[in-house]
Amino acid sequence: MSLMKSLGASAVVNVPAAAVTTTQLHHGTHSFPFLSLPQHLPKLNTTTSISWKTTTPVRTAVAAINSSDTVEKETESKKEYHFVVANAKFMLDEEEHFQEQLFERVRLFKERNMEQDFWLVIEPKFLDKFPNITKRLKRPAVALVSTNGTWIKFMKLRLDRVLLDSFEAESMEEALASNPCNIEFEKPSNWVAPYPKYESGWWESLLPPIPQTQQA
Amino acid sequence: MAAEMALLKPISKIGYCGSTTITSARTILPQRISTIVRMSAATTTTPTTTKGTGGGKNKKGIKETLLAPRFYTTDFDEMEQLFNTEMNKNLNEAEFEALLQEFKTDYNQTHFVRNKEFKEAADEIQGPMRQIFVEFLERSCTAEFSGFLLYKELGRRLKKTNPVVAEIFSLMSRDEARHAGFLNKGLSDFNLALDLGFLTKARKYTFFKPKFIFYATYLSEKIGYWRYITIYRHLKTNPEYQVYPIFKYFENWCQDENRHGDFFSALMKAQPQFLNDWKAKLWSRFFCLSVYVTMYLNDTQRTSFYEGIGLNTKEFDMHVIIETNRTTARIFPAVLDVENPEFKRKLDRMADINSKIIAIGETDDIPLVKNLKRIPHIAALVSELLAAYLMKPIDSGSVDIADLDPQLVY
Repeated sequence: MSLMKSLGASAVVNVPAAAVTTTQLHHGTHSFPFLSLPQHLPKLNTTTSISWKTTTPVRTAVAAINSSDTVEKETESKKEYHFVVANAKFMLDEEEHFQEQLFERVRLFKERNMEQDFWLVIEPKFLDKFPNITKRLKRPAVALVSTNGTWIKFMKLRLDRVLLDSFEAESMEEALASNPCNIEFEKPSNWVAPYPKYESGWWESLLPPIPQTQQA
Repeated sequence: MAAEMALLKPISKIGYCGSTTITSARTILPQRISTIVRMSAATTTTPTTTKGTGGGKNKKGIKETLLAPRFYTTDFDEMEQLFNTEMNKNLNEAEFEALLQEFKTDYNQTHFVRNKEFKEAADEIQGPMRQIFVEFLERSCTAEFSGFLLYKELGRRLKKTNPVVAEIFSLMSRDEARHAGFLNKGLSDFNLALDLGFLTKARKYTFFKPKFIFYATYLSEKIGYWRYITIYRHLKTNPEYQVYPIFKYFENWCQDENRHGDFFSALMKAQPQFLNDWKAKLWSRFFCLSVYVTMYLNDTQRTSFYEGIGLNTKEFDMHVIIETNRTTARIFPAVLDVENPEFKRKLDRMADINSKIIAIGETDDIPLVKNLKRIPHIAALVSELLAAYLMKPIDSGSVDIADLDPQLVY
């Protein structure tokens, strides 16, 4: 207890005196090393960050996965894509915090000039490779796909009612290909929140860019 | 976290029986507001222009009430053992690594920057609303700060046994300190400041075993998220009630709270003994009830704040309770059936009883008479609480651990 007191006392002295902004209380933990690395690098590199003294177990784990998955031979062409998937109603309609979270990440990537590495894919074609997933999935399904496997793991923790897996693809077009599908949700019958629901269609900005070939 | 326990984060004092909740609630009335303010003012050098009557008060003026934001401490040795990677094989290292990366990302690194709107808006807030706002800022600041203290200490203590978990705690204390600092700057708009150093020493600390810290802080982070986001989204739709710019920061702010909750979710998953037996179910229901009732009683005593920003207090609270309960069902093995209309009826009866108890406290009777008069009401409240606790619960849990039907369709 005395430790706690002295700790607290010394730590907070700053607060009333804080003249400019509240950033004085940040305790010098401003590192966000992984994010500053180029996004197109294979997974192995993105987790190997400068100040991660404590990440050895996962780093090894990731390295092991990657090496078994031909990263060494085919770094140039193949990339690993990670995803969580559930039915569209859950992903796009019911879990409103999910939208906030994705938009927060979009904002962050813009602020830090990073290339977006996550997309929402409606009725993804890659699901054909996962019969064990599709047999438990209501349709239409929506997947959150990213090249950042660590972040997808976090999203699994957040969303809980989703299935997680990963695959390799030659190109982004291949990885994010989807079967066209019309997504519409019924308006909730008794909406009691003191605010309106997020507008349907909020996900459109997060769909993969349309490949040139299809545009034509 | 523990931070969630103020007005904004109303939990606090969870964990104790209803009777205490009630008796203490009376001190939360307006006269107490000024007491706290005088207390804070007396302990800082900040000019106290808004409070001319602070004469008789001093540092001893902190009122410890059951519903007030709480400072927590825990059994740090047990925490060390729980997260010792060699002793505990259930620790999902990858999940904690993923969380650590998320916290390191520091989404809100540049978010909490003030502008001149704050002071101008504060000057506009006059009359009773001014006091209400001060109390709101104070309780919120105290709550965030209490999270800072606990997380900071856990970050320090777990460094050796589990550096990853320790670093996450440290990064969460970064967030809480940032939030507390921002709220304290808000108080300066009202020519006040909380002396947090003094608060650290003068406040009583509530001891919770680690497992109770997990339940309580999980709930307080998640309920904090739902409170902030609800206020934010409501004000976005109804900007005429946007009386003070701090609410504009809530959307990004509350994502921190949500992430903190996720971390406690992972901590509990790493300790399945806290989630998978009948005792865990009883405790889960108990903490849900304590947290929801505390918020409801707290807020129904402060309707002027919520009405002042255009919200119907009870509707706001019910929305927050239902959403928090839905979220909590992703991890707790049992939750309350809060969507059953009977649950709200019980809450309303508790709020009425609580008002009566408070009214007794305000009469001129001698303390003995007051206590005698309170007895039947306290008994009524306890009985309501018990009935609410015994309502048929809903089985729940994470799909990663619960015995949910393996046929579950996603």
